[in-house]
Amino acid sequence: MGIALAERPRADVLPDQSGASSLLNGHYAPPPADEGGKTWVRASVVIQAHAQKLYEMWRDVEAAPSWHERIVKVWSTGPKTYHWLMRDEPGHNTLEWEFEILADEPGKRIAWRSLSGEPESAGEVLFETAPGRRGTMVTVLQQFRMGKLSRAWEAVTGRDPKQSVIENLRHFKAMAETGEIPRTQPQPHGERGVVGSLKRSTYGEKIKTPSGTSLGQETATRSEGSSR
Amino acid sequence: MKAVCWMGKSKIETQTVNDPQLLNPHDAIIKVTRTAICGSDLHLFDGFIPTMEQGDIMGHEFMGIVEEVGPDVSNLERGDRVVVPFTIACGQCLFCKKKLWAACDNTNPNAHLMETAYGYSGSGLFGYSHMMGGYAGGQAQYVRVPFANVGPLKIESDLPDEKVLFLSDIFPTGYMAAENAQIQDGDTVAVWGAGPVGQFAIASAFMLGAARVVAIDRIPERLALARSIGAITVDYSEEDVSVLTALKDLTGGVGPDACIDAVGLEAHMGDLVGFYDTVKVALMLETDRSGVLRQAIQAVRKGGTLSIPGVYGGLLDKVPFGAAFGKGITMKMGQTNMHTYLRPLLERIEKGQIDPSYIISHRITLDEAPEMYKVWRDKQDKVTKIVIDPWAERAA
Repeated sequence: MGIALAERPRADVLPDQSGASSLLNGHYAPPPADEGGKTWVRASVVIQAHAQKLYEMWRDVEAAPSWHERIVKVWSTGPKTYHWLMRDEPGHNTLEWEFEILADEPGKRIAWRSLSGEPESAGEVLFETAPGRRGTMVTVLQQFRMGKLSRAWEAVTGRDPKQSVIENLRHFKAMAETGEIPRTQPQPHGERGVVGSLKRSTYGEKIKTPSGTSLGQETATRSEGSSR
Repeated sequence: MKAVCWMGKSKIETQTVNDPQLLNPHDAIIKVTRTAICGSDLHLFDGFIPTMEQGDIMGHEFMGIVEEVGPDVSNLERGDRVVVPFTIACGQCLFCKKKLWAACDNTNPNAHLMETAYGYSGSGLFGYSHMMGGYAGGQAQYVRVPFANVGPLKIESDLPDEKVLFLSDIFPTGYMAAENAQIQDGDTVAVWGAGPVGQFAIASAFMLGAARVVAIDRIPERLALARSIGAITVDYSEEDVSVLTALKDLTGGVGPDACIDAVGLEAHMGDLVGFYDTVKVALMLETDRSGVLRQAIQAVRKGGTLSIPGVYGGLLDKVPFGAAFGKGITMKMGQTNMHTYLRPLLERIEKGQIDPSYIISHRITLDEAPEMYKVWRDKQDKVTKIVIDPWAERAA
C-alpha cells in the first residue's frame, strides 16, 4: 500500500536514530524517566553552524571550562580519558571525576561515561541537520547518579544538574554562533540593600558565566568596576 | 558615574555608581549624550514587571558617543555618534537571520527565567528587569552596549540628538505597530493611547497609506499633539462618549480597518470594567489590566487587524475571544524588531519627512529624574515626553 499523501514537496527525510534522539521510527520518544537513583535530562538547540565545526568544539574536551559553568580545568589522562575538576566560586567545594569517550563519530555523535569520581554520569550528544535544514540541531542526553559527594552539586554549581546541562548547552550555542557568551557580571548598579543582595542568587547571577573568550576570561577575574 | 536606579516600587533614585566596563569582545562603552524616560518605564516604576531588583539602572532609550570598543567590534570607533536600539541582538542566530531581532536566541543571560514564564526567551533588553537579561540601562552617564557590531546606528549627519534619539525605541515601535496593522490605502486606523508610541503609530499609519487615523486618549496635550499631525481625536473621559459608538459613527458603522493598542497592561478605563481589573490585579487574580485590548477587539471591523505595541507581561482576564473569532480578526504584536527599522526611519528623518522631537515637553538632568518619574506617571505639568541630558547640572 502506498502512502495516502503523495504531495510533500518540502518534507524532510526523517532520521532513524536512537539513543539521545527524540525520534524513533517517526514517533516521538520522550527522555527516560528518573528512577533508581538516576536523573535524566535531554536538551536540544538549533545552531547556525556546520555539524563538523560543532562536533570539533564539543570534542575539544580540554576547552570545556570556556563554556561549562564551574568547571575549572579538564586534562587528558589517556587517549580517550579525561579528568574533570569542578569548584565553586569561594573554592569551598570541589567535585572531580574521570571520564572516557565511548563513541566518537566526527560530525555526528559523541558519547561518554564517567569511570570514577562523582557524580556518576553518562551522556551522548548528536549533531543532526535541523528540521527544514535550518541549521544544526544539537541534542544532549545526559544521565546522573548522585553519590554522597555529588549531592553537593547544587552547592557547587548553584543549579540542579539538569539545569546545568541546559545552561551549558546554551553557552555552547552562544559561543558557536557569536564567539562569546552573553554576560552581565560585573556591571554597575545602585545600592542593592539586604533583600537585593540575597535575591541575586535566584536569577542565577551568582554563577560565574564561563569565559567563552579570552576577553571574557580576563574580565571574569576583574573586580566590580572602577571610575572612568 | 551618575545613574537613575530602581530602588523599589514607586521609588527611583539618582545614585553615584561604578562606571561600566567592556566584558565581551563585541561590547562597546557609550558616553550617553541624551536618554529618555519611556512609557514602559512606568510599568517598572509601578511594580508591574517582576524580577526588578533594588539598585538596577533604568533606561532603554539612549544615544551617545562611542567611548571604547571591544576587540571584535570593527564597525565602530571611539568618537562615533550612535543611537542604540533597546533590544539587544546577536545577528547570528536563527531568529536574527529571519530579522526577528527581538526574538534573538543569544542575548538574554537569564533566558531560563523567561523560559519558565513564556516557554521561550526573547532577546535581552537594556534596563528592563532580570528576566529580560538584567542589563544595566542607559539613564546614566555611560552604558555598556553588548553586540555593538550589530545594534548601534551611526549618525553621520549633523541632525541634533533630539531628532534621532527616538530611533532607540518609540519611533520604530510606533512604526512596527502601523506595519503590523497591515494598512491598505484608504484605511481608517484607530489608535488607543496618544502617548509617544501612539504618536509615532499615528504618524506611521499616515505614512503607510491610512486615510484617517482616530486617536483615543484623555490627556488634552496628547490629543492636541495627535490633531497637530492630522488625527481625529476622541476623549474617552468626556461625558456621554462611548468609544465603540464613536468609532462606528466615524466609519459609517463599518468600524476601523485596524486598531492599535498603544496602551498595554496598565489601561485606565474609568468604568466598572476598569474597577474590576484594578481589584483583580490587587488580589493577584490577574496580572495585567487589559481594558483597551478588550475594547479594541470589540471595535475592529469584520476581518480587521489588531496590532499591539503596548506591553503586556502576564495573564489577562475576560478577553472577548468569541468576538475575535466571530469577526475573523488578525492580531499581531510583540517587542519591536528594532534593527529592521533603524536605517529606513533615519532616512525619513534625514529627508525631513518627520521630526520626532515634536513630542518633547520636558528637558531635565539626571538629578531631576526621580521627581519627573512621578510627574510622568501622574501626567502632571502638561508632560508628553521627558528627555534627559546626563551631563547637565541641575538648574539653580
